Amino acid sequence: MSQNILQLLLDSFWKILLPGITVTIPLTVISFSLAMVIAIITAMIQYAKIPVLRQLARFYIWVIRGTPLLVQLYVVFFGLPSIGIRVAAFPSAVTVFAINEGAYCAETMRAAIESVPAGQMEAGYCVGMNYLQIMRRIVLPQAFRTAFPPLFNSLIGMVKDTSLAANITVAEMFFATQRIAGRTYQFMALYLELALIYLIFSTVLTRLQALGEKRLNSYGGNKN
Amino acid sequence: MALLKVNNVAKSFDGSPVLNGVSLSVEQGDVIAIIGPSGGGKTTFLRCLNFLETADQGTMKFDGKSYDMAHMSSKEINEVRRHTGFVFQNYNLFRNKTALQNVTEGLIVARKMNKEQAEEIGMRMLEKVGMADRANHYPSQMSGGQQQRTAIARALAQSPKIIYFDEPTSALDPELIGEVLSVMRDLANEGMTMIVVTHELEFAKQVSSKTIFLEGGVIVEEGPSKEFFAHPERPRTREFLRLEETRF
Repeated sequence: MSQNILQLLLDSFWKILLPGITVTIPLTVISFSLAMVIAIITAMIQYAKIPVLRQLARFYIWVIRGTPLLVQLYVVFFGLPSIGIRVAAFPSAVTVFAINEGAYCAETMRAAIESVPAGQMEAGYCVGMNYLQIMRRIVLPQAFRTAFPPLFNSLIGMVKDTSLAANITVAEMFFATQRIAGRTYQFMALYLELALIYLIFSTVLTRLQALGEKRLNSYGGNKN
Repeated sequence: MALLKVNNVAKSFDGSPVLNGVSLSVEQGDVIAIIGPSGGGKTTFLRCLNFLETADQGTMKFDGKSYDMAHMSSKEINEVRRHTGFVFQNYNLFRNKTALQNVTEGLIVARKMNKEQAEEIGMRMLEKVGMADRANHYPSQMSGGQQQRTAIARALAQSPKIIYFDEPTSALDPELIGEVLSVMRDLANEGMTMIVVTHELEFAKQVSSKTIFLEGGVIVEEGPSKEFFAHPERPRTREFLRLEETRF
């Protein structure tokens, strides 16, 4: 019996890891990249106190942070078709994850931008730079240094959250495991195996975070 | 003709007045020291001159052009800033840039100078303030005095017609003050026009051509520095100078 389980685990390992590589990772990378774009724009709108847009940004963050990710997935994938908008599973998942993660990362970025002393901006003005130049070359790089650990936190969280996409038929790792488990009834062994694979993914990311922080520390962090 | 002439500058924060009509005329080569108690409006006045604060009223004549200080377009602000340098109390070096990059950043990004030329100017300015051997150091790797000298080099690189110093030595450990003051003294000797908000009365006495005592948002007394310190006229000025001299 245990021989059989071992064999099953070995056989299923690649069957689970493969959608991890072809679906979970692309889903995470694409969604998180889009989320970062949304986050930076949303954070800058708030930091610059642009009227109307700023209220819109707050509204967006309020709604997205205040509703469950799973519900958002259902609204887009199962809800939108009823008003005539039909989006395939993978792009639906990318859209929801990007918009969802964007709201959280926007708050991280806003806090990080606000933590850069106002004097950095003033010094930039005094050497003739304009707002966007200072933002891009001085403030955002420093803010990014501060935001890096919490952003990586969000990224690691997102890798695991992509398992929710199984609910809207995206054939990622959790989806693949469910199918194998449904056939073999080895729930304990298979879900533990899946958990282990997620743990491997997270461990790799944790290592990457450490390497990234080391690089970003090259200018001595944000000490004055 | 005066290089810089400001008239009747007023500014309040949340209804409480900080500047109540300050006027000032600066000739080419002048070194003007602004002294006075904390909260008297010195720093605010200096920041209004470079539009880091917007004055509620006041006119400015700078380099032959007239400006309404309360209603400046961003084009006008850039025009003035292009010919001024500003040195902050806490240096405000760009923390993600090396000493050299701090000096060249404005030249390359704002003035679109090519990198080689900017770096040549940058190294020359760092040499001038004795920081050439630290060109590749980040601010976190420098002492306060080194950071402030780099900040002065950054201001100099803009080839300014005037440099504003906002309490440039107030954040420094006592043993580091001298190196910054000596750089400033060199600049003064070379004929650089400067306005220096300072608590260093000895520096004001020795280096500045004119001293202004600012308190309560008005100029209490002003005059050529030699006379100002030798024969202060107002009782309040005398009291302030006496207190400053005996504060230890």
